[in-house]
Amino acid sequence: MGASNTAPDRPILAVDGLSVSYGHVQALRNASITIGSGEIVVLLGANGAGKTTLMESILGIHTPHSGSISFDGTDITRVPADRNVRSGISLVPEGRGIFSSMTVLDNLLLGAHHNLQESPARLDRVFHWFPVLRERQQQMAGTLSGGERRMLAIGRALMSRPRLILIDEPSIGLAPKIVNDIFAIIADLNAEGYAILLSEQNAYKALKTSNRGYVLETGRVVLEGASAELLDDPGIKAAYVGA
Amino acid sequence: MEVFIAQFMNGLSLGSIYVLLVTGFNLLLLVAMIIHFSYPQVVVFSMYISWVALRFTNNSIVVGVVAGIVSAIALNVVLAPLFQQVMRKRGHVDINATMVISLAIGMIITDILSHEFNSGFPIAFPENVRGDEELFGFGLIHISRGQVLSLLVGVVVVSAFFWLLYRTKYGRAFRAIAEDPDNARLVGIPIFQTGLLSYALTGLLGGLTAVLLSVLLGSASPGLGEAVAHKVLAVSIIAGLGNLVGGLVIGLALGILEAMVQGFITGTWSNAIAFVVLLVVILARPRGVFGMKL
Ligand SMILES: Nc1ncnc2c1ncn2[C@@H]1O[C@H](COP(=O)(O)OP(=O)(O)OP(=O)(O)O)[C@@H](O)[C@H]1O
Ligand SMILES: [Mg+2]
Repeated sequence: MGASNTAPDRPILAVDGLSVSYGHVQALRNASITIGSGEIVVLLGANGAGKTTLMESILGIHTPHSGSISFDGTDITRVPADRNVRSGISLVPEGRGIFSSMTVLDNLLLGAHHNLQESPARLDRVFHWFPVLRERQQQMAGTLSGGERRMLAIGRALMSRPRLILIDEPSIGLAPKIVNDIFAIIADLNAEGYAILLSEQNAYKALKTSNRGYVLETGRVVLEGASAELLDDPGIKAAYVGA
Repeated sequence: MEVFIAQFMNGLSLGSIYVLLVTGFNLLLLVAMIIHFSYPQVVVFSMYISWVALRFTNNSIVVGVVAGIVSAIALNVVLAPLFQQVMRKRGHVDINATMVISLAIGMIITDILSHEFNSGFPIAFPENVRGDEELFGFGLIHISRGQVLSLLVGVVVVSAFFWLLYRTKYGRAFRAIAEDPDNARLVGIPIFQTGLLSYALTGLLGGLTAVLLSVLLGSASPGLGEAVAHKVLAVSIIAGLGNLVGGLVIGLALGILEAMVQGFITGTWSNAIAFVVLLVVILARPRGVFGMKL
């Protein structure tokens, strides 16, 4: 988790000057970020800053009107989500992200839609990270607790053999103890080689866990730097870390 | 008692046709997010195609069956882009717009059938296709080949469908899209291809239904699709829109109800009486007996 101030030499993801609108609402304005292959990068921003839009655009859900996205050196600017998942990006959506009327096992297998033949091995890995899911395999996902649901959503994202995992507000709505567990697992996943992009409103934990960070305001990147430095930034302290 | 058993068999075979149609209708509703209430017209169109194929091949059953099934799949897949266009234009599915498209498709098919085939007269299927020959009988009970066939095929096809839905990755994707299409897209499910697959599968179900209807009824007319469509729509609403298990139960129940009315009360009023019962049920359970799954 060594902090480096500069952008990585060989980024696994490079977003360059991206602009995305919903009708007349412009949600991203000329936003650029990069993520190195071994990094955890955090996106900070208030409600409506554009964090979800940026993650969903990387995945291929929204069509940008300008700018470009490349993944592992390949341009993926207008590539649809299912192909990006196939080639190694997965998203843990904000809040929901699980199918409550389906079993835990079905939810996990959905993540392996494109690589079902290797699902037994991947299931083993996921159950290694989240033992509770192994016991709950046949249970309806809707009956899980909030923390278990978040684990299921992360587990599902691991099923598709990703190299980059986008995690949208992993801590939202969870008790502090569970938040700590989730961040510990995120750090462990990163240590195993997964590149990770997180979005957070509560910055302290996220900055502690990550290498670098970007601050989004109304769709613009207004600040970027090593997480340790952002943590000391008085503006960030006031806006995102709290007292 | 004999009448009861005879009509119960009649009801089951008629009911299994309803079940097949309702299942196809619900699949399109859940996965492709369209209300295709003219789907039975598409099925009747395939009966006509099958009839033409039989005439040209000197009543080759194989060709007739293949023509019915292939034409239903082709017709469904060809119509898919029309519906999908509505999806794409509006960013998400507009279920009202799909109803207008479906209505138009139904009317066009009915018109084509009443102008271009057999001068609009009802068509009759050849002897070797019709299933009215008695397989076995006992007193008033006559079990025909068509009845046994439609019941058997109904059971096999519906079982196979549920196997696909709950045991394969395509079925899993169908269920995911049915529960939350936006989330399914985020998870990496190819929405468009999976939607197209549901059209093809609905076509397959429709083609099999067309063959069974030809065997069971032995004839068809341009207005058949519309008459059946009303019942299919009613069954799916009464069961609970999108509820596959509900459709199974209510579809069979309607078939049996109609047959019982025909056997014990009057043949000519069976539609009206069936719809009165459906009316009472929907007043008691506005969201359907088994609940909507949308
Ligand atoms: N489907 C949509 N239609 C119209 N506007 C949208 C849509 N989704 C998001 N927006 C707008 O785009 C902007 C960015 O939203 P986005 O959800 O990306 O923000 P966010 O940083 O994820 O916020 P939050 O922390 O509340 O999740 C907001 O102004 C929002 O109102
Ligand atoms: Mg968000």
